[in-house]
Amino acid sequence: MSDQYNVHRRVLPPFATRLLFILLLQLTAGCASRFDDLDLSAYQYRDTRNLVTFVYDARHILEQEGLSALDYFRANDDHYATEEHYLYIYDLQANNLYHAGMPSLEGRNLLDVTDINGKQISRLILEALDDPENPHGWVHYSWWAPGSFYPVPKSSCHFRVTTPDGKELFVGAGMDYPHEEKEFIRIVVDGADRLVRQKGREAIAIMSDPLSSYNYRDVRVFAFHPDGELLISPVVQDSLLQIRLFECADEVGHHPFANAVKRLASQDRVWEVFMVKNRYQRGLVKKCMYLRKSELSGRTLYIGAITDLPQPP
Amino acid sequence: MTKKTRSIEYGFNDLPPAGHLIILSLQHVLLMFVSVGLPIIFVSQINETTQFAATLVTLSMLAAGIGSIVQSAGLPFIGSGYLCPNVCGPSYLSLSLSAAWAGGIPLMRGMIIIAGLVEMSLAPLVHKLKQVFPTFIVGLVVAMVGVSVIKMSVTSLFGLEFRGDAVRSADIVIGMVTLLVMVLCNIWGSGFVRIYCLLIGMLSGWGLAVVLVPEYGHTLAVVRHSPVFALPSIGPEFRQISFRMDMVIPFVVIAVSGSLKSFGNLLAAQKISEPELDEVNFTPIRKGLLADGFSTALAGLIGGMAVDTSSSNIGLAGSTKVLSRWISVAAGVIFIVLAFCPKITVALSLMPKPVLGASIIFAGCFMICTGFQEMFSEAWDARNTFSVGISLFFGLSTAFLPGLYARAPELIKIFFTDPLPTTTILAVLLNLLFNLDRTYEGLVRRFRSS
Repeated sequence: MSDQYNVHRRVLPPFATRLLFILLLQLTAGCASRFDDLDLSAYQYRDTRNLVTFVYDARHILEQEGLSALDYFRANDDHYATEEHYLYIYDLQANNLYHAGMPSLEGRNLLDVTDINGKQISRLILEALDDPENPHGWVHYSWWAPGSFYPVPKSSCHFRVTTPDGKELFVGAGMDYPHEEKEFIRIVVDGADRLVRQKGREAIAIMSDPLSSYNYRDVRVFAFHPDGELLISPVVQDSLLQIRLFECADEVGHHPFANAVKRLASQDRVWEVFMVKNRYQRGLVKKCMYLRKSELSGRTLYIGAITDLPQPP
Repeated sequence: MTKKTRSIEYGFNDLPPAGHLIILSLQHVLLMFVSVGLPIIFVSQINETTQFAATLVTLSMLAAGIGSIVQSAGLPFIGSGYLCPNVCGPSYLSLSLSAAWAGGIPLMRGMIIIAGLVEMSLAPLVHKLKQVFPTFIVGLVVAMVGVSVIKMSVTSLFGLEFRGDAVRSADIVIGMVTLLVMVLCNIWGSGFVRIYCLLIGMLSGWGLAVVLVPEYGHTLAVVRHSPVFALPSIGPEFRQISFRMDMVIPFVVIAVSGSLKSFGNLLAAQKISEPELDEVNFTPIRKGLLADGFSTALAGLIGGMAVDTSSSNIGLAGSTKVLSRWISVAAGVIFIVLAFCPKITVALSLMPKPVLGASIIFAGCFMICTGFQEMFSEAWDARNTFSVGISLFFGLSTAFLPGLYARAPELIKIFFTDPLPTTTILAVLLNLLFNLDRTYEGLVRRFRSS
């Protein structure tokens, strides 16, 4: 090349080269984490991970400090009641011990409190805490934001705590207008499978109850036999319409039910993605179905639910 | 020596010394890694295994690496010979998913091959475009290449992974500091600091990210479980190719749109590599488009995701004034080698999003300003004002108002897709329309004289 260009013909200083390789080695070696005991890998959204971490940290403080931690929480209200979420602590009889968002609830028993749809929130939380499929105690219901006057959909995360003096409590926090996490439907479908195996046909009635934990927002746990016989429909009352699930196709001609059932021949549970129309978006949007194999009265039963998938930013 | 070429560090035909060549190529490879996330997103959407994801990443990187070499090596009949690396093309993601859902990987491969062949067949037509691409429209297209990365770069700088998710203040700090380091190294630095400004910014941003946000350090833990070297596991889905007639039209549309984008990228590469040219030299552009189509078809053939020319890397070349095509060739070779080194690939793909966002903004700034300079470098009149203005209004509105176009009539939906192709098509059509009187007068004069 001609000399008209101001070309650098030097070699890299050894220091710079060494520094670069040390940094690359450091990065490829990996780093240990202080959150090793909290598995957040099931969650796709940062909002959800933040909430679980928030409650988990509070649980840790409560576990170490016992009820004296309440003074600490009250002294740091700005941290425990933010625009995103607020912390609350109850005993296992649903007596409120601390409520960062609605202090007027402190000292009251909320065991029988229901949301606008009639969901018994405290009872659902206590059930969630006992559910091995629900490690972070998720419960979905309607509530209202402090100071507001209209209902908002809410998903809350809870941890059971045993204080140093042996008191059994639970700590929790929720998010308004929550993102739909795949983990949420995994929890309700796996829970439904356990219920069916434990209670048989009685479980179907429990799962169908719109006030049960198996139904929230647009999510509905459904169940059907391999021959297509519907026990709980994914969309409408069975008396209105018997959907032929295996013939259902999405917007690109993909058959999610038929494909999922085919895959279940060699697996216990599958995730099936499919495309749907959304009137506000020019492209198709993705939804996913979680389907797993169960057994009812000696017959194979498929239990599943459908939820939204995250959209790119 | 012309004013335009005086500040260039390495011209497009220069071969930098080996050490520089490797580090400069690594700088480009880091930017190219933005696209490695695409096959990972793709696999997560079709519920395939981790092993499948590793194979798809490897094959996609292979295609991008080979494509970069073919594009830049200066071969006789194919490739622009400019610094213009290939990456996995985001514009193909949605359609590739549709194909994979409808007919699995074999159908996705078949349709990508068709798209590549369509792009190749469009390449010889580029000479015909000479008359419809006056300098100001070329400038507009180059500027729009930069504009088209705004959404991706800003959402990345804010660390956003999904629509509506939380924004962390720490991510904004990381992104802004990274951008500032890059820009200040570029403005005030000289020699090494200036030509490695992106690398310096990325490494300092990454270091800051690990300190400020434990999650970034935490995610690096997965690197420990990745093998140092691994060959792709070629399952049966990678051994078949299929086609479907009803998918041809969408893939042809995306191929035309991809060609337009690559056309803009190649124009930009030419502007920064050969600033002394008074008008567009369409020969390297044609060869570049041919290479782009070839790489896309090759990606389908070997089982990777469709590839595309990278706007960000061209912007980086322009901002650092390091234009050597050998950097693109070496980056392609490194990409191919890294395709078989999962440990490094995984580590690099975990680069914090704010750092990536800052890098793309840094490169995009150059594209936008180069385009504007080009656009206003010739005499300006009302025809230009309305050709550029109207096409910008409607082109940018596709990004500002996606909901509006979602409910628009079908004909509008087809042509008003993204800012770059929409603005380009409109500018060309409006320029032809507003110059009809001149065209008519020219025809009359020619008729009379004959």
